[in-house]
Amino acid sequence: MNTNKLFRFVCGWSLLVVFFVFPATASDYHPAPKQKNPIALVGGTIHTVSGAVISGGTIIFDKGKITAIGVGISIPPGTEQIDVRGKHIYPGLIDASSNLGLLEVGLGAPGTVDAAEVGTINPNVRAEVAVNPESEQIPVARSGGVLIVATSPGGGLISGLAAAMMMEGWTWEEMTLQSGVGLIVNWPSMVFSPSPFSQQTRENFLENRENNLKAIRNAFTDARAYWTAKKAEGQKGIPYHHTDPKWEAMIPVLEGKIPVFVNANEVTQIQAAMQWAEEEKVRMVLVGGRDAWRVKDQLLAKKVPVIFTDVQNAPARRWEDYDLVFKTPALLQSAGIQFCITGDRSGSNARNLPHHAANAVAYGLPQDEALKSITLYPAQILGIADRVGSLEVGKDATLLITDGDILQITTNVEQAFVLGKKVDMRDKHKSLYNKYKEKYRQLSGE
Amino acid sequence: MQRWWYIVAALMIALAGVFAQTAPTIGLRSNTPTVHAFINARIIVAPGKTIPNGILVIRHGVIEAVGENVIIPADARVWDLKGLSLYPGLIEMVSDIGMPKPPQQQGAGGGLGGAQQQRQEPQKGAAHWNAKVLANVAAANEFQPDAKAAEKLRSQGFTLAVATPQRGVFRGTSAVVNLGDGSATDLLVKPFAAHHIALEATGGFLSGYPNSLMGTIALIRQTWYDADWYRKAHEAYNKKPAGQKRPETNASLAVLADALALKQPVMIKATDELNFLRAAKIGKEFGLNLWIFGSGQEYQRLDAIKATNVPVILPLNFPDAPSVDTPEEALNVTLEELRHWDAAPENPGRLHKAGVQIALTSAELKDAGSFRAQVRKAIERGLNADAALAAVTTTPASWLGLSARYGTLEAGKVANFVVTDGDLFVEKTNVREVWIDGKQYEVKVPPTDARGTWEMTISADPDQRGTLTLKGEVERPTGNVTWREKELRLNNVTYAAGRLSFTINTDTIGWKGTMILSGMVSANEIHGVGERPDGAPFTWLASRREPAKAEPDTTKPKEPEMASLPDVFPPGEYGRPRLPAQPQNVLVRNATIWTQGPQGKLEGTDMLVTRGKIARIGKNLTAPADAVIIDATGKHVTPGLIDAHSHTAVSASVNEGGQAITAEVRIADVLDPDDIWIYRQLAGGTTAANILHGSANPIGGQNAVVKWRWGALPDELLIAGAPPGVKFALGENVKQSHFNPGGQPSTRYPRTRMGVEQIIRDRFKAALDYERDWKEWERDKTRIPPRRDLELDAIVEMLKGTRLIHSHCYRQDEILMLIRVAEEFGIKIATFQHVLEGYKVAEAITKHGAGASTFSDWWSFKIEAYDAILGNGPLMHRQGVLVSYNSDNSQLATRMNWEASKAAKFGLSEEEALNFVTLNPAKQLGIADKVGSLEVGKDADFVIWSGNPLSTFSKCEQTWVDGRKYFDVMEDAQMREQIQNERSTLIQKIHTSKRTSSGHQQAGGGAPRFRRPNEISLRSCMEGMYDEHE
Repeated sequence: MNTNKLFRFVCGWSLLVVFFVFPATASDYHPAPKQKNPIALVGGTIHTVSGAVISGGTIIFDKGKITAIGVGISIPPGTEQIDVRGKHIYPGLIDASSNLGLLEVGLGAPGTVDAAEVGTINPNVRAEVAVNPESEQIPVARSGGVLIVATSPGGGLISGLAAAMMMEGWTWEEMTLQSGVGLIVNWPSMVFSPSPFSQQTRENFLENRENNLKAIRNAFTDARAYWTAKKAEGQKGIPYHHTDPKWEAMIPVLEGKIPVFVNANEVTQIQAAMQWAEEEKVRMVLVGGRDAWRVKDQLLAKKVPVIFTDVQNAPARRWEDYDLVFKTPALLQSAGIQFCITGDRSGSNARNLPHHAANAVAYGLPQDEALKSITLYPAQILGIADRVGSLEVGKDATLLITDGDILQITTNVEQAFVLGKKVDMRDKHKSLYNKYKEKYRQLSGE
Repeated sequence: MQRWWYIVAALMIALAGVFAQTAPTIGLRSNTPTVHAFINARIIVAPGKTIPNGILVIRHGVIEAVGENVIIPADARVWDLKGLSLYPGLIEMVSDIGMPKPPQQQGAGGGLGGAQQQRQEPQKGAAHWNAKVLANVAAANEFQPDAKAAEKLRSQGFTLAVATPQRGVFRGTSAVVNLGDGSATDLLVKPFAAHHIALEATGGFLSGYPNSLMGTIALIRQTWYDADWYRKAHEAYNKKPAGQKRPETNASLAVLADALALKQPVMIKATDELNFLRAAKIGKEFGLNLWIFGSGQEYQRLDAIKATNVPVILPLNFPDAPSVDTPEEALNVTLEELRHWDAAPENPGRLHKAGVQIALTSAELKDAGSFRAQVRKAIERGLNADAALAAVTTTPASWLGLSARYGTLEAGKVANFVVTDGDLFVEKTNVREVWIDGKQYEVKVPPTDARGTWEMTISADPDQRGTLTLKGEVERPTGNVTWREKELRLNNVTYAAGRLSFTINTDTIGWKGTMILSGMVSANEIHGVGERPDGAPFTWLASRREPAKAEPDTTKPKEPEMASLPDVFPPGEYGRPRLPAQPQNVLVRNATIWTQGPQGKLEGTDMLVTRGKIARIGKNLTAPADAVIIDATGKHVTPGLIDAHSHTAVSASVNEGGQAITAEVRIADVLDPDDIWIYRQLAGGTTAANILHGSANPIGGQNAVVKWRWGALPDELLIAGAPPGVKFALGENVKQSHFNPGGQPSTRYPRTRMGVEQIIRDRFKAALDYERDWKEWERDKTRIPPRRDLELDAIVEMLKGTRLIHSHCYRQDEILMLIRVAEEFGIKIATFQHVLEGYKVAEAITKHGAGASTFSDWWSFKIEAYDAILGNGPLMHRQGVLVSYNSDNSQLATRMNWEASKAAKFGLSEEEALNFVTLNPAKQLGIADKVGSLEVGKDADFVIWSGNPLSTFSKCEQTWVDGRKYFDVMEDAQMREQIQNERSTLIQKIHTSKRTSSGHQQAGGGAPRFRRPNEISLRSCMEGMYDEHE
């Protein structure tokens, strides 16, 4: 590196430091200690999700796991009893697609943004290692009942690996429920739509499309070749093959251990991705899925689950039904497609997850399905249903106490438990709310 | 008869320079006679006036006589035009011929996209401060003859064109030019035709002020006021210069002052039917002698456009069919595009039938050479053929004040005419030549028709007689020779410059190999030469035995297929033939009525609506006999929801970012009543909105308070009597924290919150000074009047309290700052918008008396939104602030009831929460006397919900505005079916038209239009946030 380059390098980095803005407040709320003694929530309406709704029931959990659920069940001695009569108990809600923890403040604080790595093929980057446990969005999400979030990187064609994070813990390691729940692939747009804002011609578009499709295919064939070479390297006469971090990271995907989460909305994208996944023999989950209902037979036949993103969004086409997006979950559900519902991917809005599911109820999705679409179904699609997603004996004690139906906006989450830990329900919003209530208390001379 | 064509070249040379009357003669003089008599011609003297067989005499470039029995002057050259027609020369009303080309434009809408932005060259002379005001540019001074462009226009029969400057908003003045050869001195017929204005955002986002459509309109308006002031100022100064400041010299304003004083024509280019209406309004405001250069979309708002009574110049760039070759492409085509493709060719006919004065132009066509074909299409689709001719002859001549000289073939007029071999606007007709100023320009001279049967003698085979048969097209004949009882096919046939050549294979008649032949064709003989395969030369002669038989035309005459669908408003999806009816009486029965007024929430109650107003609310009301009765048992009824911060229904950009203070810019100038979001918001129960300028400027543009009257005209959206308002903005956006053109921080003032305070304060002071100047002038009106300043006019209104200030803000410091500045000037801020830290200074907001219009829960999308909290609204409400929730996002505005329910999380009563989107925004906007609650005497704007409107499980079933039902889920279901039918009808029509013609790309057609770029983008996630939460 010559002096000139070095100078520019140093200047560049010092500029970054100057513009880095640290989150404004350091919170006084903190992660909870491990569950010390058994806890019984007594007398509430228990929405097990996987089974029937139990009225006046009791749920007991110990060492972070649910140990008993039922009506009038015996409560072991030494159990802390919490009276939840009139309250509702739900499994913690699961947001299957978000940037929470990777993007704190989008504008004006680039230092808080870790959403997309350089380059277009990044299968090796792992979301969990960059999730900031100090993110103020985490406690806010919990206040909305969201206790598990699949955080994922974005950008490029292959963005990296998503991780299922619990919204509680001192470190990202403690928060990680499951790393590598899916490899994010962003399917290139397939249909040329001329835009007054773009100079792109049909020819440019087709060339780009071809290049992008090739890049995705090449990544997978190269990774497969790498896997073959690595498998062979112990054999007689076969030399050691040097490691490649990108292709190394893709082996579990090729093995079928990790699904590909393909972001695609438009019908031709979806069909192209499905065909590609079949040819590559990888497990595909469709993320986005705006047009998914148009090819529901194929989705069903190929058993491709759908993470349906952002119910509170616009129809893509001027002529489409005003409520098309609202009713798409109902269309997928009635077709028998495995699906779940997520919000708009922004961590700051993660708390509104139940509103998206509720919105689908107003336009035809049965209420119990709406609840499943933000609990059990995302757990299944993310491959973490053995731990979370429903209230069953043996599963994590990751649950909520609310003062009403979680699908109603007016409902408040009163208490959450993550792995049996009693979560500190304070958050930035409540703290500021209380701080300024204090201001007005002082002003009124109380 | 054909021989005379060969004289043309010599004649043209002889005539060149005949008009350069002051130029010295170089070389020898030329005095070829210029007296011509055209006989046996079908003469179209004027539209609708034809002499079937007449004589036209011209002398020195002027028509001397025309008629059936005209005596041919003895000195005339006689031209026999048997079978040919003479038309008056066509006049092109808009052309860029000979004009400097404008710099490359950015895409429509003035968006940020694109790397290259137009930078303006500094102007010379006493130029206007704004580089887009080029009113002093005169085509007469800029014009450079362009032989190629002239030839192209002549090929369509044009003989005159209005050369029109192409740059800027005020583009300058046009000139009428001849389309002949020669120098500019020869060609300029009339140095002044009209003033020209383009109603479009030009130059892109970085090109300075204005860079939005509404900014363009504001600039146009201000400039006309300035022109008027300029004249008055100079008059006052000239009368008494002593003691007065000399008014500036401004070349553009001087020219425009004349336009006003002399009522000179002003042509405004309007790129769609809404811009047409906007241009017409400007014309009316300033009493302009207005012409509009239209878009081809005028038929979509025909009644309104007719009512303006403005003459219009129509382009004929009918759009190509949208691509529907694949299902996925068809999915992305809107019904609006399909309908426009289907109906556009009827635009000229429908306008003419409606009584609109029209001229037709070849401008905007990809190829001006397709003009006649496009006119033909318009005629097939209903335009009267005489009217079409008038629209390019007598009409433009009369508008241009040239009727005495041009437009018809009458004695005394200039000898500008067109020679055709058939009806001008009929397929297959050729424009053979065009005469301009009595000078002939050849366009297309078909060669002698050689088709038919010829008897051949060949010197190489003198004993044999051959038969030559030619058929096919005149210019590309095919055929054979029968010789020695063998039929030999003609190969390698060419026919050019009067010479026919071909080869024949003579293997079968005794000469092995290929024989080559050619010869000159005349009417009855072909004299030729040839070479045998063995190299021996020969001559040949063919004598005509019989001419070609007219081949029967087997193609059926094309039945013009008219537009398949009746007009609807808006012209596309979910449009209706007319506004929904307003029944005399409507009785809503047995509902849970959330009056949001003193009556509170009423169960099992009826509401009677009479002529759009709420007449009674109570139990068991009796229905008038004619009442429309709605059984609302089990349903909830609320006032229509009101969105106090919206950018829906704005054409193009919502920001005029070219200056930091833009109080002169008006959202009402650019309302787009066809935005599909209006319908979607009605489907979510939203009935009224505060349409605001964006947040680029400390003092932004004026707002528009509207009701969602889907299908109405732009001005009909406005709520009559709503107090006018303006957008202010504070914080990151106005200091351009996230705007780094070319990687550099913006240099626009202000760049800090300190500067924001100072610039607002300074403009307030400026407005006070301005008011003072006017009062001083009132005392002595002989002095130079103050310049009317639309920006300061608006600020004066703010300081008088008649214009409400709606200020975008985030942080508590800036909120408090604006309160203090306002208090210093003795005024009140009407609302703080977004006001995400309002909860930190709620007591100050309450004391000041401002309202707060906030997001329910958005936060963390930028650093100044990091302290936003969910409890902001409720906390302010508890401190006595009048709080509303707004959308700032077209999709969010479809579910404002659920936004309100977020307030109920904090212990507010349900009615208090619903007030956040009904009565409170109505109060903030000063329209609570009309809307916001269901009370007797108020407007019947209400929503019927399937259940409690705060429940996420409820949905909107009906939405009424002014006692008219603008949304009904049942009707919506029917409309969906209808949309599917209409789409499929038109898509099928495209496929059919492709099967029956060579392709769906029409010659000279236009590209599909992007009428609403704002609608295309899916507004989601963070990208959307950055765009919208401005």
